[in-house]
Amino acid sequence: MITNWLDAITERMTRSVAQRTSRRGFLGSVGATLIGGAALPLLPVARAGGGDGQPAPPSQDPGDPTSCDYWRNCSIDGYLCSCCGGSMNSCPPGTDMSPVTWIGTCRNPADGKDYIISYNDCCGKNSCGACFCNRNERDRPLYRPGTANDYNWCVGTKSIAYHCTVTLILGVATTPS
Amino acid sequence: MRAVLVAWLGLITGGALAADLPVDKVGTVLTLPQPYPAHWVWVQDIAFEHMLDGKMILVDPRATTLREQFKGMFNSSNIAAFAQSTTRPEVYVAETFYSRGNRGQRSDVITVYDKPNLRPIAEIPLTGNKRASAMPGRHALAMSGDESLLFAYFFTPATSIGIIDVARRALVNEVSLPSCAMAYPTGKRGFSSLCANGSMVSFQLDAAGKVANTKVLDPFFDVDADALFEKPVIANGMGYFPTFNGNLQVIDLRGDHAVLGARWNLVPEAERKQNWRPGGAMLTGADDAGHLYLIMHPDGKEGTHKDGGPEVWVFDVAKQTRLQRITLKTWGLSIEATGGPEPLLLVTNAEMNIDVYDARTGKHQRTLAHFGQETPLIMHAAR
Repeated sequence: MITNWLDAITERMTRSVAQRTSRRGFLGSVGATLIGGAALPLLPVARAGGGDGQPAPPSQDPGDPTSCDYWRNCSIDGYLCSCCGGSMNSCPPGTDMSPVTWIGTCRNPADGKDYIISYNDCCGKNSCGACFCNRNERDRPLYRPGTANDYNWCVGTKSIAYHCTVTLILGVATTPS
Repeated sequence: MRAVLVAWLGLITGGALAADLPVDKVGTVLTLPQPYPAHWVWVQDIAFEHMLDGKMILVDPRATTLREQFKGMFNSSNIAAFAQSTTRPEVYVAETFYSRGNRGQRSDVITVYDKPNLRPIAEIPLTGNKRASAMPGRHALAMSGDESLLFAYFFTPATSIGIIDVARRALVNEVSLPSCAMAYPTGKRGFSSLCANGSMVSFQLDAAGKVANTKVLDPFFDVDADALFEKPVIANGMGYFPTFNGNLQVIDLRGDHAVLGARWNLVPEAERKQNWRPGGAMLTGADDAGHLYLIMHPDGKEGTHKDGGPEVWVFDVAKQTRLQRITLKTWGLSIEATGGPEPLLLVTNAEMNIDVYDARTGKHQRTLAHFGQETPLIMHAAR
């Protein structure tokens, strides 16, 4: 429930203070990503249906996917599908995964690598209502859709009704040479 | 039993002495004054938890009781976009419906409501069903300067602007955008859009809604280093676009195409060390005097641009100076300034209520709560 947005903000600020030292260094290093250079518009990513959907062992993919703190959630805006009958990379029963998405670049604390995360919305039912999470690292305004989490990304699905969001790993971010 | 008997006798006795209340007329429905008072505001509730069922609530924020505050409402479906006419007694809502609620046949329309009755008086089909569904802004649906056209932002995810002839109630054209978004009214019958490469494109249209001329500005900002918020205020044809890092880019939208204006730092030198930055869901507002209102937060860094903040700063954009810092009673996420000579500052706070401040003094006046709102993330001063 979004009965108090302040709770979510406060929780995130507390977390951000705790992680500030490492995250600041990280932020400076990933201006350019796997998807595009700093000067190029990032294109929406079409990946739904790809991959085997099998999660990595917990030791390599640490954290609680039902928590806003979970490392893959660094640029998410919506309900965590892990709280809605789905998982961090699978939509809940009866929903449709959006084939186009926005992407984020999140650091996995287990291996220190920066991963490109695709935030696919699960669509066709009303908002899940559980585990709202809004984090905006490298989120950019609507004029750059590929990194804009303000869109309802239930685009190309049978219904634009937004339910929740999954966090798919697309690959490890690399800096163009 | 004895008490009941006494009460019953009292009722009979009293009834014999007092005149009967008149019989109420069945079917009375109120209408609203025209024009609306300048300080009224449309509160847009996107109903984040059930977006099918958003609503626009017309509110008098100066009133002290709920009975006086709540003036009326209508529905707005699936994160609608909203625009107001100043020359016709109409408002417009770009929205999306399905034949079976959240499923079935999709139909995107602009619903036209009349201001006195808040009734739908026309429906303009957005053929192709490309309407953008996104967190609400003030420029996903916009009126041209002469109010003959409406501009509706489309996203499929290819981006374009639907051109609607208001008088004909018809979608008459669609202008493809070169990786750009939103429609900022420009000149008499045109619009400008911000682009992913840090530029801006302007289109001027003819009376039929066809493109008469186009102009592209060279890139003038770095989207990664210091992005322009796509949520400016436009006052007297001048666009004021804050940036993530606390600068203000002025863009002149009065002519046929956008012209870059001044760019200056909103944060005085002494406060820059504290990393004060703009941020929020709808972080900007302007009053009739042209003063700019902006939600600000300290300790800003990458990713804090939607956090909202504990203060609203007020700027004289002509003099490029800060007039005031208003400390908010409760953390703010979205703001709006009302019209008229004595503007109010309205703040959607983190508890999803709306705090009302005297915009000149910054003094908190009241909190609007329990008026049926859930996620009132954007407000539009009534016109």
